[in-house]
Amino acid sequence: MSNEEESSKNELKIPRRTLIKAAGATSAVLGLSGLGVSGYQAGKAPSSYTGCESFQGSAQSFDRKRFAVDKPHYEKVGPTSRPDGRTEVLFSRLGVAMSAARSDKKIEDLDEPYRSYYLSRPEDFELDKKNRELMHKVAEDSTENKNRYLLAEAWADAMGAVSPKSIGNKPPEVSDFPKDRFGNPLKMKSPEATARLIKKVSYEFGTVLVGITKLNPDWVYKYPSGRRGFDRNKPIEVPKHWQYAIVVGAPMSWDPMYANPNFGTSNDAYSKSRIVAFRLASFIKRLGYAARPHTPGNSYDVMVPPIMVDAGLGEQGRHSVVITPELGCNFRPAVITTNLPMKTDKPISFGVQDFCKNCKICAEQCPSGAITTGGKENIRGYKRYLLHSSKCFNFWNSKHGSMGCRICIAACPYTRKSNWVHKTALKITANDPTTISHKVLTSMQKRFYPGQNPSDYYAATLGGKNASYREPPWWLKTEDFIEL
Amino acid sequence: MSFFESNIFWFIEGLFACVSIIAFRIWAQDKGINMAVWKWPVVIVWVLFLSISIGFVATSIGEGEMDAAFYGGVFGAVIAAVSGVVVWRLLKIR
Repeated sequence: MSNEEESSKNELKIPRRTLIKAAGATSAVLGLSGLGVSGYQAGKAPSSYTGCESFQGSAQSFDRKRFAVDKPHYEKVGPTSRPDGRTEVLFSRLGVAMSAARSDKKIEDLDEPYRSYYLSRPEDFELDKKNRELMHKVAEDSTENKNRYLLAEAWADAMGAVSPKSIGNKPPEVSDFPKDRFGNPLKMKSPEATARLIKKVSYEFGTVLVGITKLNPDWVYKYPSGRRGFDRNKPIEVPKHWQYAIVVGAPMSWDPMYANPNFGTSNDAYSKSRIVAFRLASFIKRLGYAARPHTPGNSYDVMVPPIMVDAGLGEQGRHSVVITPELGCNFRPAVITTNLPMKTDKPISFGVQDFCKNCKICAEQCPSGAITTGGKENIRGYKRYLLHSSKCFNFWNSKHGSMGCRICIAACPYTRKSNWVHKTALKITANDPTTISHKVLTSMQKRFYPGQNPSDYYAATLGGKNASYREPPWWLKTEDFIEL
Repeated sequence: MSFFESNIFWFIEGLFACVSIIAFRIWAQDKGINMAVWKWPVVIVWVLFLSISIGFVATSIGEGEMDAAFYGGVFGAVIAAVSGVVVWRLLKIR
């Protein structure tokens, strides 16, 4: 190499000291900028709203825009029909079956519409009648076994102690509308602004997730399940003011939920959902618009899961419960139907349909066999997984503790607490079009987070072991607090 | 918010990482290991894997999921051990 070339090569080299100084200066700038950003975030963080952290909407953290789709995942495969709330809602027909069990009536002796329903589903008649016998069997269990759940039952009852009053029995054209002095609807600036307002106040009222959609009339019961201002013998004409549906709700307390079926309850979430729904309905009426809450336990005129799907809160899983990205299926919703014009949300698709095809953990854990391991079926014109509600309810009466089972919710891989492990798993499955990760993560779920032998969930007097999916939290262990 | 969820904690973790990297360089020089540019990502990936495994076990214990902690720990340890041998052999390449 000539002297000139060597000299030129040396001139192009940046001295190491200069490089280190440049790197140090860059680090200093980036570090100080980071402090600024961190400080700004600390100033507005939901965690700084001491005592009101949970009313800032921070739990609804999933980026739904990325996963928004134009059509919801359920497929229309034939002529659609609306469900008969008198018969297809188990709680509405149950009294008839249990009364028939007491008086030894046959299906042919029943009044309509129950006669026609059970003639087409004789297995459901036998299963529904069986609940009396199951309840008696569970009651025969030992005092020692029953006493284990005293605290859990007290907690469940307490959670159900606060409830808004019923909407009454006036027709929706009367009960849904505000009292005269608030009668004129206020002119709202725009549907977008209204949607933002409704979502913000919903969080303040206590909801954890909120979504807005136009109401599909197919989701309204054809005949009402309860009275709520309707004649049970006449089909519901969907009121014109039921234009939009707002979904709100809350999760069940996590640790008792994992200890289902015996230590958990739906009452904690039901109670919160009811309160949010009634508050929101009252707020909307004060704006001069119609609003009607449809709330858990059984005060609905609509089917909530497909409304949740339409409102972009999640996808319906194999167990028929809607799986949300933030809470899995640990979300107990309520719906408010209204004529307040709002910008609606889009449905989302984040991999649940593909995941549920392969997973089947809920079906494998279900002690009653109510959840199918097969494919989707045509149910009233829509393709979805069938849940056998009569089999499910039989198990409700085959165990101790508060009403309900909820094992499918606890066992679902999506129903995990919000830490980096499960958030990472969700991110992977939501972004994997090949579904390879679904199979890998399902295998890991079965190995790492195993359930119990499904027959062990039954009460001892029915051949089980009174097992729970997980051990109860310390504060529900009756034996640690009460002399038994 | 506990100390371990705070920004100060992660700042201190960053300091630990910087000190570890400087110390690793010196250790490698003492061992006669030539830390070529391509070797750094290999070491970093292995350390990240080890960190994630430890984090997974600890998080599972915190959740009360002992089966997850056990199996995660076993899988993590086996994979870290086997890959650790591979990484060591790669580091020894001049």
